[in-house]
This record gives sequence, C-alpha cells and structure tokens, in this order.
Amino acid sequence: MNIIEIKNLKKYFGEVKAVDDITFNVEKGEFFAFLGVNGAGKSTTISILCGEQKRTGGSVIVDGKDIDEAPAEIGKKLGVVFQNSVLDRSLSVRDNLKYRAALYRIYGKEFEDRLRELTALFGLKELLKRPVGKLSGGQRRRVDIARALVHSPEILILDEPTTGLDPQTRKSVWETVNAIRKVRGITVFLTTHYMEEAADADRVVILDGGKILADATPLELKNRYTGDFINLYGGKETEVRALGLAYEKVGEAVRIEVENTAAATELILKHPQLFTDYEIEKGKMDDVFLNVTGKRTE
Amino acid sequence: MTLKKSAPYPVPAEGVKDLQTLSMKTLSYLIARNCKVYFRDKGVFLVSLMAPLILLFLFVAFLGNVYRDSIRSVATGFPLTDELVESIAAGWLISSLLAVCAVTIAFTANTIMVQDRATGQAADFRVSPVPRSLVALGYFLSTFFVTAVICFVALGAGFVYIGIAGWYLTAADLLLTVADTLLLTLFGTALSSVVCHFLRSQGAVTGVQATVSAAYGFLCGAYMPIGNLATGLKNAIMFLPGTYGTGLLHSHLMGGAIGEVGEGLPAEAVTQIVKGMRDGFDCDLYFFGNAVPSWVCYLVLAIATALLVGVYVLLCARKRK
Repeated sequence: MNIIEIKNLKKYFGEVKAVDDITFNVEKGEFFAFLGVNGAGKSTTISILCGEQKRTGGSVIVDGKDIDEAPAEIGKKLGVVFQNSVLDRSLSVRDNLKYRAALYRIYGKEFEDRLRELTALFGLKELLKRPVGKLSGGQRRRVDIARALVHSPEILILDEPTTGLDPQTRKSVWETVNAIRKVRGITVFLTTHYMEEAADADRVVILDGGKILADATPLELKNRYTGDFINLYGGKETEVRALGLAYEKVGEAVRIEVENTAAATELILKHPQLFTDYEIEKGKMDDVFLNVTGKRTE
Repeated sequence: MTLKKSAPYPVPAEGVKDLQTLSMKTLSYLIARNCKVYFRDKGVFLVSLMAPLILLFLFVAFLGNVYRDSIRSVATGFPLTDELVESIAAGWLISSLLAVCAVTIAFTANTIMVQDRATGQAADFRVSPVPRSLVALGYFLSTFFVTAVICFVALGAGFVYIGIAGWYLTAADLLLTVADTLLLTLFGTALSSVVCHFLRSQGAVTGVQATVSAAYGFLCGAYMPIGNLATGLKNAIMFLPGTYGTGLLHSHLMGGAIGEVGEGLPAEAVTQIVKGMRDGFDCDLYFFGNAVPSWVCYLVLAIATALLVGVYVLLCARKRK
C-alpha cells in the first residue's frame, strides 16, 4: 500500500526547473531513499511534500489525502528531521520536546507519557534537563529525531540528516533510525547524497537536474548499472594482465571487473589455479550513481 | 547509546483532535516558548533590561542640566522652586525614555521571529499543523509581553527617580501613564512586527535595531521638544503616530509639576506660564497650529496600531510561494 503518491510533480522557478515532472510512490513501512547531488531537487520535493512550497504542477497524495485538501491532516502524519538542527539551543531537551508537542496539542499527562517513551527509546534520561547547546552533535541529532517523532507520525522524513556529522555520530544516528523502524515500523523517507546510506534502503530513487533517472531497489540498481568485482589476493597482477582482463590495483588486491556473477563464476572455473584467495562483491552505489548520472558523489 | 527496544512506541490516539481549530493552549505554549528563548539569552535580555536604565543615566548625566536650564528659561520672571524644576525635568526624562523604549525594545524582542527564520525553526513550525496565524500571533503577543515587562521595569525606576526629584503626580496621572505605556508598547510591537516580517537574518535585524534606536527618539519628539524644531520638520513629525504617544507621556508625567508653577500669582499669569510650559515641553501638541486634545492623541495611536496590526495580519496570511 502506498503511503505517498507523487504524480508528475513540477516546480519551476522561472526558467529553472528545480523539479521536472517526477512520479514515484513510497510504500507504507518502506525505507525510501532519495539520492542526488546538491541541487538535484531533493529538498524542493520535500518542501512541497511538507506544504512549505507550492508546486507548479502535479499532485501529492499522502495516505490517500491530497496535500491541497488536507494540509493539517497530512501535517500530523509527517515528522521532519531537517538538515540543520531546529532545536532551541538555550532551552533544555525537555522544554524543546514540550513546546514541539504543544504544536500537536499534546500537553500535560499525554506529553509526560510520550516523553517517557521517547526518553526510553532514545536514551535521553540524562539529557532531559541539559540545554541543547551543551549537547554533543550526536546527542543533539538524537533529540532532533525524538522531536520529529513526538507526535507519533506515520512518516519520518530525514532531510540529509547526517550531513556534516563525523562517522561515529552518523553511525549513532543510523542506529537510532533503524531501532525506530524495528520498534515502530514507521515509513522513512530519506534524502541524501551519501551513497552508503542509500545502499541500506528498501528502494532508491536517483534524482538529477530535477528528473528521476532511476527507481529500483539497491540490488536491482547494482545489477542494472554496475558489474561484479572479483578481489584477487596474493600478488597475481602479472597473471591477470597476461589474461588481458580489465583490472585495477586496490590496496593489496587486484580488482577485476566482470559483467555479472555468472561471468565471475565462469572466469574462476576457467582459471582455478589463479583464484585461490579471492572474494566477489557487487558494485557499490557510488558506481551506480556514476553510471546513472555521469557524476561522482562526495 | 542505549536503545531500549522493548519500549512500546505509542500509536496515535484515536479520534485525533481537530488541529485546525485555534487552540488557546497551543498559543500559550508558543508565547511561553518565545519568552523563554528570549529571557534565556542572557546577553539579549540583560542588554534590553539595561538599555532603559543606561539611557536614563545618560539622560540625567548629559542632558539633565540642559533641561533644567530650558525649564528655567521658559519660566523667566516667574518664581520656580528647585524641587519643581527637578520634578519637571525628571518627568521629561522619564516620559522621553519610555516613549523611546516602548518601540526600540519591541524591535529587540521581535528578534525571536527573525532568528527562527534564520535557524530553520520557522520551517519546523510550517510543517506542523499549527496555523501560521497562530504562530504569528504567538510572536506578536510574546513581543508585547517582553516589551511591556522591560518598559514597566523602566517605569518603576522612573517613578523612583521622579519621587526623589519631587512627586507631583496624581493617581490619575499614574493610571494614565500606565495606559500610555501599554498603548505605546502595543504600537511598538505592531510596528516592529511589520518591519521584522521582512527580515531574514540576524544581521538585518541588528541593523534595523541600531537605526531605530538612533532615529526613533528624534522622530517621536522624545529627545528634543518639537517646538525647538524648524516648522517643516515640526509639521512632518506630527504625521508620525509615535509623536502622539510621546505627547501623552509628557503630559501625564510632567503635567502635575507644571500645574504647581506660579503658585501665589494671579490666575491669569498662572494660566499663561502653565500654557507656555506645557507647549514648550510638548505636553500639548499642535497639528498645523490646531491644538490636539488627549483623546485625539489616543485615537491616532490606536488607529495607527490597528492599521499596523492589520498589515501584519495580511502579511502573515500571504500564501506560500
């Protein structure tokens, strides 16, 4: 069942086509990734979905309701984690959650119950009284996510949530998001330009120049847009070169690109004396993105 | 990070409340949040609170003697006690101070609205189901509250200063001064809300605050009696509604002391000197030579405030692009 249905969505700023006739659906409970470089149209699409911007054309349906007809109803279903933290730095974590909850008319005992659950889920007990400005980047991001979930939305929108964060904090953010998905089964709509983040999604849409260039699961994308790779260990570069295979040196390994897994198997069976220490891997999302858009990511 | 996976996450309550309905409780939370953000920023809060007191000190230290001499020169030939001179000067200083602060502090208090735009908080409000009008009303009322608190602190300090200088205020003067301060605060809030609506960065709001702080005192007749200005400028200033608020404060904080001038002299002479002093210190205003009664001053200020609020409502109701 689709929870988001976007049809022929367009957003033009004069001559600039920020979003150019895109159509896609997001299934309920799905981890959906919107992949693209800066300026691809990701944030514009999110802004339209959240009712922040008007669209030039097309339709946006959330949980069966048109965004023009029931904006407030749809607002209740969305929880948004913005690229930059929108917490009040001078206020405590508790106050931030309290004032956010009030926007959804959650007060008093109802808020206290919600706070208890979020505190347990996000491990916020020690942080509740601390001003947000005194938290680490990772702690602040967790509070940001808790804030987006304070009204129990059905869709969690993560707009480049890990941009500018260090690897450990990024890991911590993803642990949090994965835990929420496991516990709650919430639909996650991620926009990112980090390929490895999109690789964990159920489905990926690649956007470039306001247009959708690819829409499939990560595995389908890898199968469609990249080959397989055999990493061969043991210093066998000379033998590989003698066979006339395309390869590159990656650390201690010789990385041979083959068309697909069947071709890899065939090659290994044909030269068993060569392939004594090796591994086969699928192409990475970076390769997919490069092949789809012709652009390298960060 | 410890994640307690066993914790049940709540499912949205059945029969979800109608979020479109204007909620007074949500409004009270918005106001509380804005005020808390403002007062928690100790730098901004202390500067706002100190500004009127610093201004009072500067007025007394640098302009006190100028006003005292000016009062004596207006009353040349009439007996005038030192206490009366001190009281009239104190009334002028405090009324000028309040007239300026009610507007300049409102611009500082409205920083929260601009700050929310700059930091992305405004976007967070927009994706929530809360109507934009409620968010805008929250900014308006919190600005009014913060400005009123600071103005009343200044007014309290002002009453103490006037008490030391010489107390000639009646209960009616006190009540009317409170009413003037509230009305001017409302005017300042409305004016700052309209101006700040167009600002998108902290830098812009700081620039506007600096300009307003520097210019408003002259434009509303607080720093210099309007009678001292050139005719053209005098007439131009009378088109600005803030002038009428300043005039009301001058009248209510100086009127009592001025009324005591000329005690023991013939009634005609007293009338003449009182009129001269009231005109000279803007207790009575003139629009192209015609006397403006107090009720007209209130009306002008109220209409200007209502118009500004109307503009603010229209600006806030504008559709998203």
